[in-house]
Amino acid sequence: MRADAAAAPLLEVTDLTTQFFTRAGVVKAVDGVSFSLRRGEVMGLVGESGSGKSVTGFSIIGLIDPPGRVAGGSVKLEGHELVGLPPDELRKLRGRVVSMVFQDPLMTLNPVLTIGEQIRLAIEAHEKVSAADARQRAIAGLAQVRIPRPEATVDFYPHQLSGGMRQRVAIAIALLHRPKLIICDEPTTALDVSIQAEILAEMKELVAELGTALIWISHDLATVASIAQHVAVMRLGKIVEAGPTLDVLTRPQHAYTRALLDALPSRAKPGELLLRGGGVPDAAPPARKPAAAAAAPVPGAPYFVADRVSKRFETRPSALRGLGQKLGLVQPPPAVMAVDDVSLIVPRGEALGLVGESGSGKSTLGRMAAGIYAPSSGTVRFEGRPVMSDGAEPKKLTTRVQTIFQDPFASLNPRMRIGDGIAEGPLAHGLVGKAGAAAYVRDWLAAVGLDPAFADRYPHQFSGGQRQRVAIARALAMQPDLVVCDEPVASLDVSIQAQIINLLMRLRAELGLTLIFISHDLSVVRHLCDRVAVMYRGRIVEEGPAGEVYDNPQHDYTRRLLAAVPVLPEAAA
Amino acid sequence: MMRKEAPIARFWDEFRESRIAVAALVVVALMIGVALLAPLIAPQNPYDLANLVLSDARRPPGYVGSGGYTHWLGTDAQGRDLLSAILYGLRISLQMGLVAGAFAFAIGVTLGIAAAYLGGRREAFIMRVIDLQLAFPAILLALVISALLGQGKAQLVTALVAAQYAYFARTAHGAASAERGKDYVEAALSTPLPARQVIWRHILPNCLPPLIVVATVQVANAIALEATLSFLGVGLPVTEPSLGSLIANGFQYMLSGRYWISIYPGLALILLIVAINLVGDQIRDQVNPRLKR
Repeated sequence: MRADAAAAPLLEVTDLTTQFFTRAGVVKAVDGVSFSLRRGEVMGLVGESGSGKSVTGFSIIGLIDPPGRVAGGSVKLEGHELVGLPPDELRKLRGRVVSMVFQDPLMTLNPVLTIGEQIRLAIEAHEKVSAADARQRAIAGLAQVRIPRPEATVDFYPHQLSGGMRQRVAIAIALLHRPKLIICDEPTTALDVSIQAEILAEMKELVAELGTALIWISHDLATVASIAQHVAVMRLGKIVEAGPTLDVLTRPQHAYTRALLDALPSRAKPGELLLRGGGVPDAAPPARKPAAAAAAPVPGAPYFVADRVSKRFETRPSALRGLGQKLGLVQPPPAVMAVDDVSLIVPRGEALGLVGESGSGKSTLGRMAAGIYAPSSGTVRFEGRPVMSDGAEPKKLTTRVQTIFQDPFASLNPRMRIGDGIAEGPLAHGLVGKAGAAAYVRDWLAAVGLDPAFADRYPHQFSGGQRQRVAIARALAMQPDLVVCDEPVASLDVSIQAQIINLLMRLRAELGLTLIFISHDLSVVRHLCDRVAVMYRGRIVEEGPAGEVYDNPQHDYTRRLLAAVPVLPEAAA
Repeated sequence: MMRKEAPIARFWDEFRESRIAVAALVVVALMIGVALLAPLIAPQNPYDLANLVLSDARRPPGYVGSGGYTHWLGTDAQGRDLLSAILYGLRISLQMGLVAGAFAFAIGVTLGIAAAYLGGRREAFIMRVIDLQLAFPAILLALVISALLGQGKAQLVTALVAAQYAYFARTAHGAASAERGKDYVEAALSTPLPARQVIWRHILPNCLPPLIVVATVQVANAIALEATLSFLGVGLPVTEPSLGSLIANGFQYMLSGRYWISIYPGLALILLIVAINLVGDQIRDQVNPRLKR
């Protein structure tokens, strides 16, 4: 009997089907998925958005909300069928036998309860416990996930902890009842790479220590490779390929797995087109309007320079507090130096990568370069002329520096047809006449690989990748010479990311653009950029040609950053 | 999966899902319709004093008067046909509500968005003035202004606008402050586009959903406020009776059993305000991102 139990799989999923009933019809989010998991085993579930990987995770523990439901198949945990169990029975299992860790711990932790209280509630969900015992167990649980000073942390509120610490708390809660299975849904996606590396390492140790099985859901092949023994690749609700991680990643059998791997910039030579053979043939961009005579560069000035720029973010005091500060009764809160005395020169035609983790100031520096924020001190000059005017209300002076933003869902006006959005800047600055605007927009849509007929659609009618193409068209239609790209591929799936990277490389070559490319993703920067500047706490700590910085990092921080990046196993030659 | 083309078409599709809201919209449309057509469909012109026969005064619903037609809702103290008076009163109430709402919208939204866009001290000044005003009840403010300016349509609209623009300004300021920090506004500013274009084409259209909700509710409030003022005798003169003045006219007869003089105008007023609010509720639910399915 005991031997039987050890040999039998912990979790057996057979032909699982989850459907969502929407106005547009039935959507099969999970379509006949089968896999099994043994005790203590770690399985990676990989796929792009919409592949059904998260819904598979939710289906296992019955967390599918209407209009969706598990329509068929079976989920057996230690031989007990979970599909069709009444909600009460499932609730008894959740947290005790199977628990879940979500992507964003800010969403899953209750902001008005201390960590200790939340842990107590999680214990009380399944057993009676005294307040003192609960506190002891909370402290022990926090210590187990390597939270420093757990006796103090237990009384903190979630907002007092960093993202990585919050995710550790979520993991501690998931581990409370020693579950046999933990389902982690993109647990490190919202975290910086160095924090991700720490969590990955700790998770591996914990799983080995406690013998818990783990399903690790992620879009990132490299993270999965560093933790999972088995991996299943999902696409359109189906598992297209499954097997031992090393086999799948080094000798992919299915075309989709190969395409996913080919889309990764880390596996291609810098500057090479990704996804060889794939991709839309794009039309050439429309001709530039000849530059006006007034725009002659100041002789001797560098092409683009950020000259000792700083950006201080101050919270404006209320009237009463402001008075108190003036009278010296109250200390003003310390100002946050997002960018601290940074100088940067970008020669014409170069692609400069700006890398760093969240809070390093790279986006703020980018926004100052783009003329969105005025520096608190120092100036940003393009061809010797300031990008923004001085004074109380600084205005952007040049149209030759443009920006592509991270989130194409936020950077396009939801109530404006995309054609109007692309045309309004060039119209306002006389780059194109009213009569020629429609044709100009069509040419640009063709140049970024979109159907020119899309001009009178609204942003919500496009996918994320298409929207980013629209955003690129809007920026480039202003005929800039320098483009600041602020994480332009960070919110996109790998295959879409590869297309957008290809598009940017092609347009940069065709238009002779100078790029400032901001990214947290070191492999993307290496692929696209000639030179790299590494930012840490508002300063540039290391700067140099991309190859040198990556292969021979000088600064400690750069070394740590590079070491934290999960690496895919190399294909056996 | 193709979604509907224009945002407005999607909006209507969602609106149609609530039967109550559609019914309320039909009621509002009907009431606006009969108010507009009042001169054509009312049995009597209640403003023409030559039509009023004192022997017909205070007759109950269904009475056939000296004019030879039935007074379906009875007559008031001057022998006026109540149905006609209500139709004409509805006309005036709606007119006041819509005109006051439109002015309050224009003034309030301009102030609110300007404050959010300008920022700094100017924002603080505008918003503190508005907060100060919001601290006083709207009815008190409207009463004081009406009492100062005297009776008349223009005076009444002024009082209503003064009492209501602040709600629009608050909402517009909140919405515009949120939109101001979004990427697409930063994108427009960094193009750079002229400030006027950023405000008109980017910020304002995206502030509209909450403003439309406030506008619907505030039109209903303006109608109620106007009725209150007229009831209290500081609104419109008796020669141009709105629903509020009609209710006031019949008030003294309530206890003598001649309920219809007050009750029917009151019912018309309630029906109108409830219907507008139901439409507003549905729109509010639709634009509330927390309730998005």
